[in-house]
Amino acid sequence: VSAARRRPRRTAAGAGEEPRFSFFAGKGGVGKTTCAAAAAVAAAETGRRIAVVSTDPAHSLGDALACTLGPAPRRVPTRAGVLEAIELDADRALARWLAQRRATLRAIAARGTYLDDEDLERLLRLSFPGVDELMALVELSRLADRGRYEAVVVDTAPTGHTLRLLQMPETMRRIAGALDDLSAKHRFLTDSLGGGHREDAADRLIQALDADGRRLAGLLRDPARARFTWLLLPERLSLDEARDGVGALVAAGIPVAEVVINRATPAAPGPCAHCEVRRAAEADVIAATRAAFPKIPLRVLPGLEREPSGLVALRRLGRRLAGDSPPDVAPHAGRVSRARRLPRKDLPPASWLDRVAPVGVRLVVFTGKGGVGKTTCAAATAVTLAAVRPQARVLALSVDPAHSLGDVLDTTLADTDGEVPGAPAGLRARELDADRAFAELRARYQDAVERTFAALLRGSRFDVAYDREALRGLMDLAPPGLDELFAVLTIVEVLLEQDPPADVVVLDTAPTGHALRLFQMPATALGWVHALLAILLKYRDVVGLGELAAELLASARRLRELTALLTDDARARVVVVTRPAELPDRETERLLDRLRRLRLAVPAVVVNAVTPEGCRRCIRLRRVEQRLVARLCRRRATRRQRWGIISTPALAPPPRGARALALWARTWKPE
Amino acid sequence: LIILDTLIIGGLKFVLRRLAEAVDAEMNDVDVLRQELLAAQMQLELGEITEARFVEVEAALLARLREIRERQEAEAGAGGPMTITGIDVSIADDIEDDSSDRPR
Repeated sequence: VSAARRRPRRTAAGAGEEPRFSFFAGKGGVGKTTCAAAAAVAAAETGRRIAVVSTDPAHSLGDALACTLGPAPRRVPTRAGVLEAIELDADRALARWLAQRRATLRAIAARGTYLDDEDLERLLRLSFPGVDELMALVELSRLADRGRYEAVVVDTAPTGHTLRLLQMPETMRRIAGALDDLSAKHRFLTDSLGGGHREDAADRLIQALDADGRRLAGLLRDPARARFTWLLLPERLSLDEARDGVGALVAAGIPVAEVVINRATPAAPGPCAHCEVRRAAEADVIAATRAAFPKIPLRVLPGLEREPSGLVALRRLGRRLAGDSPPDVAPHAGRVSRARRLPRKDLPPASWLDRVAPVGVRLVVFTGKGGVGKTTCAAATAVTLAAVRPQARVLALSVDPAHSLGDVLDTTLADTDGEVPGAPAGLRARELDADRAFAELRARYQDAVERTFAALLRGSRFDVAYDREALRGLMDLAPPGLDELFAVLTIVEVLLEQDPPADVVVLDTAPTGHALRLFQMPATALGWVHALLAILLKYRDVVGLGELAAELLASARRLRELTALLTDDARARVVVVTRPAELPDRETERLLDRLRRLRLAVPAVVVNAVTPEGCRRCIRLRRVEQRLVARLCRRRATRRQRWGIISTPALAPPPRGARALALWARTWKPE
Repeated sequence: LIILDTLIIGGLKFVLRRLAEAVDAEMNDVDVLRQELLAAQMQLELGEITEARFVEVEAALLARLREIRERQEAEAGAGGPMTITGIDVSIADDIEDDSSDRPR
C-alpha cells in the first residue's frame, strides 16, 4: 500500500494548518463523551481528517463509538473523511516520555544536585498517579502538530480535573523553569571557565518544555483554534457546577463558545405526574442557566429513550448538535403544580444501613461514574447514619475537586468541619481544598526541606543564589496527584491520628478514574516516602537526619495503617453508585473488577434514580432500566460477587438539604 | 582564575568545616545516638535490616543513652555539669592577603 493511499486525502485548506480543537467539558455524566463522539463523527463525515481523544482516565469513548480503543489512534469506520479515536493511557505515556528523556534528565540532575544515577533511577521508577492531566496535555500537543488532523475533538475528564488540565501549560513551564535553575550554575561555570557554554540536550529539553507550555497556553486561549462547549443537565447541581466551571474558564481567559443542556425531559405522551413535575423543575433550571450565561449561546437537547451508542445513533445526535437553533423542548416555568412526591414520614427506617455501614465501620466511600448521584447518595447516607446513631460523630467529606456536597446539603462548606442545617447534631461536613492544604504543608516544612535539599544541591557552599532559586522552583511545583494525595492525608488526619475528630467518615469521591487513583495513592505515596528516606539515609553524613526524616517515618507508618484500614472490610466499605443506563452500567462493570483487584470490600451497588411508574414513556424507560438491573445481577452471579443491590427512586427535583435527603433515604429499597 | 581560586578555597573551607562539625558531633554523644536510632528506624522501614536486628540495635543504643544520662546525673550531683561549648577552627580566609603578605 502506498503512502498516498494510506494517507487521508488532504484538502487544500487543511494541508499544513494547525488543527482546531474542540473541547467538551462539564460535570461527570452529563454526556460529554457521547456529544464529543457525535461531533467527531459529524465533522469527519464532511470529508475531513478528525481525531477524537478521551483524556478521562475512566474512558467510555470506546463504549460510545461501539469499538475497542487504546492509546494508539484507531480508525473508526465513518462514511466519509477520516476519524481516528484515542483513549489516552497516562501511565504509559509518562513512561514513554521519561524513557526518551532519561539520559537528559540524569544529566540535569547530575549538574544541579549531589544525586547520583542510583538515586535518580530510584526517583524515575516511582509512579505518579496524578499525572493524567499533564500527560493529556503532552498528547494534545503531539496532536496539535501541523498537518496530521484538521480538527481534534477532546472528551475531557469531569470538571475538577479538567480545570487542573487547563492549569497544566503553566505547570509545564514551571517544570521547565525548575530544570533551568538546576542547569543555571552549570552554564555559568562553563561560561566563566572559558570556551562559553554550548547548547546541549539538556538545554533543548528545557526549551522544548517551555515552548510546549507556552504554545498550549496560547492555543487554549485562542478562540480561532480552541472551542469549548460546556455541557450540563437541567438540574440544580449541574448548573451550580457549570457556574463554577465556566467562571473558572473565563477567569483563565478561555472563552466558552456554547452551553448545551442535555437530556431535557420531553413532553409526556399522556398525563404523567412524574414527567410534569420534572419538566417544571427543569424549566426553572433552564431559565436560570440562560440568566447565568447571558452572553453564551444556549442549546437544549431532549433526552432520548436509549443512550446513543454506535455510529447510527451518534449521527442522529450529531445533527442535533450542529443544527441551527433547535426547537426549545422545555416548557415555560411555573405552569405546572408543584406536587412534590416526597415520601411520608411514617416509612420504616433505613434497613440498608446495616449492609453499607454496620457498627465498627469507620470509612464508607461512595464512588462511581460521574453524574450518577454519588454525592446525593453519600449525603443521604451520612444524614441517615447520624440520625440512627446519635452518639457517633459522622463526617461527610468531599474530596472531589469539583465539590457538590455543600450544594446537596444546601449549605456552604469549607475545609473545616461545618455544621449541617437541619441534620442531626452528630453530623459535620467538609469539602477538602487541596491547594490550600498543599500551601499549608509547604509553609510548615519549608525550612526543614530547604535545609535538607540545600545540602543536596551541588556546591551550595560557595553560591547559594542559584540553589535557592532551583529549590524554590521545585517546591512551588504542585506534585502530580495533588487532590488524591491530600484526600489520603485528610482521611488519615480525621480517622487515624490520636483522638480522631470523627468516628465514621462518609467519603464523596471524584468520578471513577480519579477515585481509583485515590485508592492506589497510599501505596504510591509510600513509594515516594521510601525513595526520599533512602536518599536521606545515603547522604546522612552530608545532610543529617533531622525533623524531615522523623516526619517521613511517621508518614510511612500512617500510610501503612491506611492501607490496612482500606482493605479491612470490618472497618472500610466502598459503595458503588450507578444509574440504570448503558454507559454507566459498562463503567460500573469495569469499576467493580478494579475494586476487587484492589481487595476493597464492596457491600452494595446503589442503582440510583430509577424511573417511577407514569406515562407510557416512563413505563418504557422503566423496562429498559429493569433489563439493565437484571444484567447487573447476572454478572454478579457469574463472577460470584456478593454485593447487594439498593435501588433508589428518581425524585423531581432531586433531594436537597438534610431533611429532604433523610426522607428520600427512607425510600431506598434493598434487594 | 578568581573563580578557580574561589573553588579551591571554598572546597578547602568546606572540608575543614565538615571536619570540625564531625569532631563536634562525636563529642556530642546524645545527638549521635539519637541519629543512629533514627537511621536504624529508617533502615527497618526500608527493609534494609530485619526486625530482630533492629531490636538489637535499638537495645544497644538505648543502653548507651541511659548510661550517658546516668553519668550526667552523677556529675551534676558531684559538681556542676560539663558541657562542650564548641571547637575553634580557624582558616586563613583571604588568598589575596596571603599572597601579598611578605614572610617575616
